Amino acid sequence: MPGVFDRLNKEIKDKQQEGGITALDLADLQPALRKIMRLMLRELQMTYPRLCEVMDAMPEKERLTRDELDESLSTLTQQFWLIRIGEGVKAIYKVNLRRKAGSTLASGIWSSLDEKLKDKPKDT
Amino acid sequence: MNKGKIVSIHSFRGGTGKSNTTANLAAQVAMTGKRVGVVDTDIQSPGIHVLFGLDETKMGKTMNDFLHGKATIREIGFSIGEHSSGGEGRAKLAGKNLWLFPSSIRGREISQILKEGIDFNLLNEGLQKTITEFDLDYLFIDTHPGLNEETLLSIATSDILIIILRPDNQDLQGTSVTVDIARSLDVPNLLLMVNKALPKYDFVELKKEIEDKFNAPVTGILPLSFDLADNASNDLFSLRFPDHDWSKALRGVAKAVLAVE
Repeated sequence: MPGVFDRLNKEIKDKQQEGGITALDLADLQPALRKIMRLMLRELQMTYPRLCEVMDAMPEKERLTRDELDESLSTLTQQFWLIRIGEGVKAIYKVNLRRKAGSTLASGIWSSLDEKLKDKPKDT
Repeated sequence: MNKGKIVSIHSFRGGTGKSNTTANLAAQVAMTGKRVGVVDTDIQSPGIHVLFGLDETKMGKTMNDFLHGKATIREIGFSIGEHSSGGEGRAKLAGKNLWLFPSSIRGREISQILKEGIDFNLLNEGLQKTITEFDLDYLFIDTHPGLNEETLLSIATSDILIIILRPDNQDLQGTSVTVDIARSLDVPNLLLMVNKALPKYDFVELKKEIEDKFNAPVTGILPLSFDLADNASNDLFSLRFPDHDWSKALRGVAKAVLAVE
């Protein structure tokens, strides 16, 4: 029977399928939003109290106020660029990057290439 | 917060010596006692493993396996310090804390990635985990030339971006594009490195010209070298020929990386 951690992970994975941000989108974000996204890219996931703690430790001119942080988190979550699990101080945030699309070449080309490469002796 | 720094090495165009520079920089930083990782995110055309003496027969699990859920980051890290034979330069890395996270050179695995795409959440998780699981001080990312999505992700997540360019008008124009993007992604430390500069150039003047153009520091001007070409990626040149002008200039770049707070 799956534990709480497994269920949360599954919930995150399911939500991650639903969209996400690209690196180019990051470049177009407002500075406050980009600051949070860059932080989340490095940390992968953070609790709300931890986010507040990291923000408070930043130099004053880079720091977001609590209202700015809350507003930014809300915007990023609405866009599905961050995934939020839980509410309030118990919330956990996780970055959601958009998957790189596969090739749009006809599938026959890939299966033919796959067959050819399969026969290569050094690939066995 | 992760303590390790991510250093992305990028060039807008191919053939600038990006992989060679990345491998030598990582080796020089590892020689100072730092814990260093090198990730090959050039999944379409991997090559940096050659400089560390790996071929298909020696290569174990790869980033491709990680992206397909077939391996953990721990299983992919190939310890160069424990397998440093096969080159006079590489032998100096014996016992050093340097790991390579290679991409696959098997045709089927490259084509599978091209066909299916990349889960960027997983790729980013892999990059960050190399730092935490190997307790790295520095993670060097060898990127694909130009701007593709993997490259943009590595730029977006980096603490230091080194852009390599040749003193060539095509490179200069391309570098402008990368510099603009790096700035719009708020990369904290943007460094430039000029490679393959003809020895007849005035390096001091060239440095000033490029710094003025991009408003970013040039950490080294490395000369075009037949000796380096003759090395043919068989060994880590800066370790094998430490007194060569190219190696001296490269150590200057490593010093600039180490100086970033």
